Amino acid sequence: MPTGIVESPVKIDPRVAFQSPEVWAKVTGKAIYGGDLMLPGMLYGRILRSPHPHARIKKIDIKQASGLAGVRAVLTGSSIVQKPYGIVIDDELPLAEAVVRYIGDEVAAVAAVSYEQAAEAARLIRVEYEELPAVFDPAEALKKGAPQLHAKFPGNIAWERHLERGNCDQAFREADIVVENTFTVPPIHSTYLEPTVCLAVSDPYNGLILHTAVQSPDQVRTIVARVLDLPLSKVRVIGPVMGGGFGGRVYGNLKLYIIASLLAIRTGRPIKMQLTREEEFLVGRPLIGAELKLRMAVRSDGTILAREADIITDNGAYSAQAPWVSKTLSERNDSVYQFKAIKTKVRLVYTNKVPTGQYRAYGNQAANFATESLLDMAAAKLGFDPLEIRLKNCVRAGDVTVHGLQLKSCALADCLKAAAAEIGWHNRKEGRGYGISAAIHSSGSVVFDKNFRGAAALARLELDGRVSIFSGEQDYGQGAHATFTLIAARALGIPAELITIHTRDTLASPFSIGALGMRQTTIGGNAIRLAAEQLREKIVQTAADMVNEPVIFEGGSVKSASGQVIELPAIAFRYYSLTSGLTLVGEGKYVPAESAYDKSGYGNIAVTYSFAAHAAEVEVDKLTGEIIVHRIVAAHDSGRIINHLAALGQVYGGVTQGLGMSCFEGYLFEGGRVANASLADYRIPTSLDVPAIVPLFIEQDDPEGPYGAKGLGEIVQIPVLGAIANAIADTAGVRVTDLPITAEKVFLALSGWECEA
Amino acid sequence: MSYRIAKNLDSALEALKEKDPATRIVAGATDLFLQEMPARLVDVSSIEELTAIEEIDNRLVIGAAATHARAAASELIKGRAAALVEACLQVGSPQVRNIGTLGGNVVNAAPAADAAVALVALGAKAVLVDSSGVWREEAVARLYSSYNCSALDGCTELLVRFLIEPCGQGEGSAFRRFAARKALALPLANAAARLKLENGMIASLSLVAAPVGPAPTRLIGTEAAILGKPAGEETWLLAAETAAEEVEVRGSLLRCSAAYRRHLVGILTADALRAAARRAAVSQSGSLT
Ligand SMILES: Cc1cc2nc3c(=O)[nH]c(=O)nc-3n(C[C@H](O)[C@H](O)[C@H](O)COP(=O)(O)OP(=O)(O)OC[C@H]3O[C@@H](n4cnc5c(N)ncnc54)[C@H](O)[C@@H]3O)c2cc1C
Repeated sequence: MPTGIVESPVKIDPRVAFQSPEVWAKVTGKAIYGGDLMLPGMLYGRILRSPHPHARIKKIDIKQASGLAGVRAVLTGSSIVQKPYGIVIDDELPLAEAVVRYIGDEVAAVAAVSYEQAAEAARLIRVEYEELPAVFDPAEALKKGAPQLHAKFPGNIAWERHLERGNCDQAFREADIVVENTFTVPPIHSTYLEPTVCLAVSDPYNGLILHTAVQSPDQVRTIVARVLDLPLSKVRVIGPVMGGGFGGRVYGNLKLYIIASLLAIRTGRPIKMQLTREEEFLVGRPLIGAELKLRMAVRSDGTILAREADIITDNGAYSAQAPWVSKTLSERNDSVYQFKAIKTKVRLVYTNKVPTGQYRAYGNQAANFATESLLDMAAAKLGFDPLEIRLKNCVRAGDVTVHGLQLKSCALADCLKAAAAEIGWHNRKEGRGYGISAAIHSSGSVVFDKNFRGAAALARLELDGRVSIFSGEQDYGQGAHATFTLIAARALGIPAELITIHTRDTLASPFSIGALGMRQTTIGGNAIRLAAEQLREKIVQTAADMVNEPVIFEGGSVKSASGQVIELPAIAFRYYSLTSGLTLVGEGKYVPAESAYDKSGYGNIAVTYSFAAHAAEVEVDKLTGEIIVHRIVAAHDSGRIINHLAALGQVYGGVTQGLGMSCFEGYLFEGGRVANASLADYRIPTSLDVPAIVPLFIEQDDPEGPYGAKGLGEIVQIPVLGAIANAIADTAGVRVTDLPITAEKVFLALSGWECEA
Repeated sequence: MSYRIAKNLDSALEALKEKDPATRIVAGATDLFLQEMPARLVDVSSIEELTAIEEIDNRLVIGAAATHARAAASELIKGRAAALVEACLQVGSPQVRNIGTLGGNVVNAAPAADAAVALVALGAKAVLVDSSGVWREEAVARLYSSYNCSALDGCTELLVRFLIEPCGQGEGSAFRRFAARKALALPLANAAARLKLENGMIASLSLVAAPVGPAPTRLIGTEAAILGKPAGEETWLLAAETAAEEVEVRGSLLRCSAAYRRHLVGILTADALRAAARRAAVSQSGSLT
């Protein structure tokens, strides 16, 4: 039986292990989450959603709903000023006006004095629909004559990309073998524990304040201001503690925020809105589903030559981050091995289903599943050991990859070797299957906004001698605050206990692009390091002026050449008194070098890159197809680890989620209806299903990251999929190419039965 | 909503006297709370007669409000009706087992409720009393009227206890299930067996699988096919084949295809038989397990 989390061979170094006091507030139930927030006079908002996958709205009658006791506002698309918006493509409206495009589409919104009255009023809204033909399968949606979702996107293609690097056709001609297969991945929800909730407050003087926990408050603020036509300075986002995000909440739930804000502006009262768990599944923007048709050209000596891909990603009804996700999904994984050429066609297709988005690694997980499966098929065909073929082809430090990524540091080969050694690759147990897989991921992506590549932070010496750090980066449970604390403590040379990190108020902190693209530690951490270093200089300068002699800052206090000790509160007070109220502030601006990133996307897209290799040991019961995952070894090159405690937590959680994607999770659709929109039917692994997870850190200094560190949060999830898929195929002798790999699918593959619908 | 905690059987029956369709018996509420809650609830989970687990006159007497956790931990049941312990141990999660009851599991009438499947295989009888004080006994298998519908009138009739003939010398029972994850998942299929061995031959047996029909379903054909046969691999394989052929199953998007479910019924039936026979053999050689 799996034993769950085991003791890690990683020796936790107490100098790089810090637990933020916030953790205790959470586990003792004292942390304030969005659901806890209440304000006097607060109203509750509810949304009426479309019951049809595709329909024209003929008439909306709100008379009965508006007349219900306790109801303060009823909004429909035609009663508000509407502005199309989106994250990449402006294809959404705050409320559907003429057409609904999926089951769940927002049609009307209500504010009332109680949640129950709001829900009742929403039920009383009468909507007359004329049902339209709907399309659910992206392949069908691409056909001529298919129902069209958006007039601006004929053929239902929201976004596409055709890319060739090197000479792919020639590489295929030179190949000794070609392997090909089609892999499918369903939409997957990040199932954070806390359903999305917001409290919107509007007043004419302060403007709009949105209380909500989100990974990128500044981007939410910008979009909400734009859609509602408010001056940016009149919109503020304040975050309560966040109950998980996992990349699924970079933008939180924009539609919910916009509707809550509209209701707050209309009523002049605070509006609280919360998604139910069912709504989370319907409108919570799961990771995009995809179908990947892949071909790989390999030489008989095991050299990987080229990869050709035809990828269709299932957008659902609206786009959110899906274009970015489709791009990463179709591209990033190509930089794990030294491909000579690649050719990629990727199409993002509208269907009348749940709009999709992002989850932890921008679809790189799906690419890992597909490519790493295919690579094992190539290895098998050539009689190569899967480990050897990876070691032969994997990228190394100093390489420039097929997409132009410059690898300043890279310990991928060492990760592969370490994972293999720990799993017992050459010392296998009878009746067990073994699989290995490798991954690369951007550490500190700089291409989300070319005018905004880095981060800024402030470090302020308080009058009591403590230090406050202001940053726009977000901690949503992953431990960013603890890591930032360690970085600031190290730069200042003061104990971690003296530092407090403030990140959750857009009014107080510098703008940030947010917690995405593994930029928190690498980019945000660097800004905090620089801010702390500048504060340190200012402290030394002020102290030197105070005593009029040279000083050194050591062991948390300042000493002069003559032996005087000047404590931090005294230094803070001196500056405060000199300026009649100002405090010493260090500014940190970390702006990564402009990258040579051309129109085709060739070039460096991140500050640096993280690497990982995972190995899995599994067992398959041939009678039932049951899969027992015994162990997963997760070897990571995330540079020098800043906080061992947080890093271990990331690996345990990410591997568990990767297991969920591999063998458990995924949306099930009946037509356009989500058939498993509950945690009873959308099955994530329970603690009993989690195998022994063994994290390994191959620590090397990265030249760019703060104190040699690189990102870890997203990559932890990626190689799990390929490792498990390959381990199952290794012992079962059959390969399942559509996720999740369930007992039934393995059994059907083993028995050669036709799968019934 | 009114919520009344009945201290004893009389006060529970009193509360049901009205025959009010808005009144419902509740025990752990783990099934009931998922449905629209009725206006008046009579909580029977603290009535002593409904919670006791004992052996009286060589019969196992298990209160209908005994929780899965208590049944699973009962040495008495473990020694005499192991299938029930195995079933109760696999219900839901610790939280659900701590409050969910055997009576609720049966009256909720889900087709593949784990404890109910074991109870039917063990040949358990249900002892019922209605609000006018009339008592009756009924085989558990007969408490189902259609899919998810109990033959019991939940507004007027109380399930008080289950009676099980304990497994004697040469007898054994076992329960097996297959689910999509290790906890908090309804089974794709489950099966339970009770059998008696004489000279290594199957002298009597009861085999149940689910979800096959509205109620836990006896596999009559499989029983007939292996009765009198030696307890051994050949017989278990025959049972697996016959069971898979015999059952009418449905597939569902949320669980699995009909073909796979059929196959699982066969595998689980054989597994349950194998384990029951092992227990029977051990009991013959003297020590009870
Ligand atoms: C998360 C979760 C997981 C679950 N997993 C499983 C599982 O794996 N396997 C499984 O079999 N079940 C499972 N269940 C279902 C449920 O827990 C069981 O069926 C449980 O045994 C029901 O018992 P209860 O006491 O909670 O019933 P209640 O909810 O209290 O009652 C259920 C029904 O029985 C009636 N009733 C209860 N007691 C009596 C009585 N003494 N006389 C007459 N009528 C009565 C009630 O009126 C009601 O109609 C799960 C439930 C949940 C919530």
